[in-house]
Amino acid sequence: MATLQHPGSLKAFQQYGQACSILANSSRATNPAWYQDALALNLQLHIRVDGVDVSTFYFDRNKNLWKNGPDLTPDAIKYPAKLSQFIEEAIQYARSYQATSLGVILYIADEFATTELKPDFDHSLSLSDLRNTAIADPNSILEDSSVVATQASWRVLPYAASGSNIIGTTVTISTRYAPLMSMLREAGENENFPVVTHALSAPLIAIMGLSQTLKPTTNHPFVAILQYPWFTALAFFDDAMNLRLIRSLQHHGIQCPTHLCRNALVTTNASLEFIEPDLFLLGLGQNINATQETHLRLAFTNSRVEEVFFPLTHEVPTWCPEPTIASQTADCTTSLVSNTFMMLREEKWAFQNFLPTPNDIAEIYPARKEMQLLRILRFARVAIFTIAALGIFYLCYRAIELMRRPEWAFDSTRAAVIQDRLTQLSRERKKSDYWNNLLEDRSKAWVSMESLSQMFPESTGILIKTYSQTVKPDNTPGKVRVGFVKEWKLTGHVRDEALEHLNTLNTREGISAHFSEIARLTGNNSFNPGIGSRNLVVNLRTQENNSYKPIPPEEISDTDESTYPFTFDLTITQRFEATDPLAISVSKAP
Amino acid sequence: MHLYRKSIVIFGIIIPVMAGAMLVGIGFFIRSKMVASFDAKQKNYKTYEIGRIAGRQIESEVERLHQHINRWNSQLSQETASTVTTYLREICEHLPSKEIQQTAFERPSTKSGFGTISAQNSSQIRIAFRGTYRTIQRAFLELETRMPQLQLQELRIDPSSAQSSLLNFQASYTAWER
Repeated sequence: MATLQHPGSLKAFQQYGQACSILANSSRATNPAWYQDALALNLQLHIRVDGVDVSTFYFDRNKNLWKNGPDLTPDAIKYPAKLSQFIEEAIQYARSYQATSLGVILYIADEFATTELKPDFDHSLSLSDLRNTAIADPNSILEDSSVVATQASWRVLPYAASGSNIIGTTVTISTRYAPLMSMLREAGENENFPVVTHALSAPLIAIMGLSQTLKPTTNHPFVAILQYPWFTALAFFDDAMNLRLIRSLQHHGIQCPTHLCRNALVTTNASLEFIEPDLFLLGLGQNINATQETHLRLAFTNSRVEEVFFPLTHEVPTWCPEPTIASQTADCTTSLVSNTFMMLREEKWAFQNFLPTPNDIAEIYPARKEMQLLRILRFARVAIFTIAALGIFYLCYRAIELMRRPEWAFDSTRAAVIQDRLTQLSRERKKSDYWNNLLEDRSKAWVSMESLSQMFPESTGILIKTYSQTVKPDNTPGKVRVGFVKEWKLTGHVRDEALEHLNTLNTREGISAHFSEIARLTGNNSFNPGIGSRNLVVNLRTQENNSYKPIPPEEISDTDESTYPFTFDLTITQRFEATDPLAISVSKAP
Repeated sequence: MHLYRKSIVIFGIIIPVMAGAMLVGIGFFIRSKMVASFDAKQKNYKTYEIGRIAGRQIESEVERLHQHINRWNSQLSQETASTVTTYLREICEHLPSKEIQQTAFERPSTKSGFGTISAQNSSQIRIAFRGTYRTIQRAFLELETRMPQLQLQELRIDPSSAQSSLLNFQASYTAWER
């Protein structure tokens, strides 16, 4: 992975590129351990430094199992080469342990100092504000204005005792172990293996652990004397078991001088108005002054003086109780109940990290939510571009499908050509239709004669004297086509036996049947009476023949008019409407 | 913290979404252009196909009538009276001369019948025969078949006063001309 830079110094696109690079080259998006607290991880490496000894322990949180850690001496911490070996060994152990992360908790037991808060802040700020300000801007809350913020860490320790004049104090620890923490984190970054660090003040953890060890006199103040190799911490608790004051006595290279401890106890008891408080002595180092208890008993004859030991747990010695205290959960620790113990554990005042990752380093890496967002976006981006690619593929497929159809390759000029051709053909057809209409068999002499001969066959008792047919068009101006009227007029003589035939013709059915038969025989459509645009009317008039002379039948001649008893006058009118197929186009030929 | 959020939102969400949308938008724009072009081509193609099919039908109709049209054009371009005379002579030659006698042939100058209502050129002719019924019918059949431009205007049939077996026929025609 390329050298990472603080995002504040990068342009937006470079920031995004760096975030993507981190996503691609680290497990930050998939391994939540990178963003968890060291004490929350399953495999933990606890390192306790008290100036004389360095104790290391592995702790499997799930199995609640302690093991001795890799060797580390106080001198080795000063040499990076040796530290590297130690760190490499720790990470290898974690990997071999199938752990996905390693939490490193450093207990600083070789220094402990307090710095008083400015009196102004005793009540003006809430504790949580003070806690944050102590980290971000310690100079603004400390009474000692000469402190240099980069050389030490300050963490607020509240005094929960009611009636206390001060809200709390600050615990001060130097930054000399910051390189160790930094090396551990960097090794984790390089190995792409989460190594999360946490630096605790050992006395604060020990004080928190008093709740499961001490059995103070009821409603009586007590003092916990925490003896470390290089200093002694005095924690003064009131009769409600709440912390009133904490002090540290530096040994300055020698074992705790008994007179210093005695003097401090006397003066502080007096200032706190503690009367003969219980004194609990805790030895928190391998070579602690064993005579301290005897001296205290002699000096404070009316006080209850008791040496207290933390219970032995697994591989962790009793003089080194902080790792077991810190790793215990709240529900299995408390035997003494007070605000102080509750605040130290539940509000995590004892767990304040004195050597956290510096902001300018921590900010290089995207936050957990940003990494999750990046990871989701990577899938989303793949999905979006897959969908887009599928969409484009579909569009291409549709385009190819369109282009393969004959319509696509069609030359539009061919449509114009065919239209011209169609126009020309239409003109031809119009001309053909025109002449076809004009030359229709609408009025033919031979058909009319056939009609006459079929209407009155020979020797049927009818003698035709005159026959005329006229055809007259309808003179209706302004019409494209006009109808016409055909009229047949016949006169003649008829015998009795032929009257029925004439009367049959004089009906619509009779004359229609005759016309239909003529149309069938001749193929001439003008005689077809079945078309709705035609009208057929017949009119027959018969009269007695004035010249009729009855004679015997054997003397009758068909051509002798006087042998016919009746005369007749027959008029047949056939009208063709303008809508009839045989109607005449009146325009000139196109 | 969250110093990367802005750049992630811009380059991880907004720009890819815009790029994807732009890509899809361009795709749809090209597709809509192609579809519009295809619709136009399809419209032309349909016009062409409809025209082609209709043209084929009209062409077959025109071809069917083509031989008749040519014959009609040929006949209509000839002078009607002389054509009728020629055809009548030919027809009468094949019929019994005792059963058909042409008694008159006139060319009235005034238009009547169909000729009065149509803008198309036409002429009038009047023919008279004396003969037997069937022979004259046959003569009319021959003449009217050869000359479809003849539209019967009037037909009169009267018995002949001289010979009782013969009839007098008088027919008036409107003859269409070009």
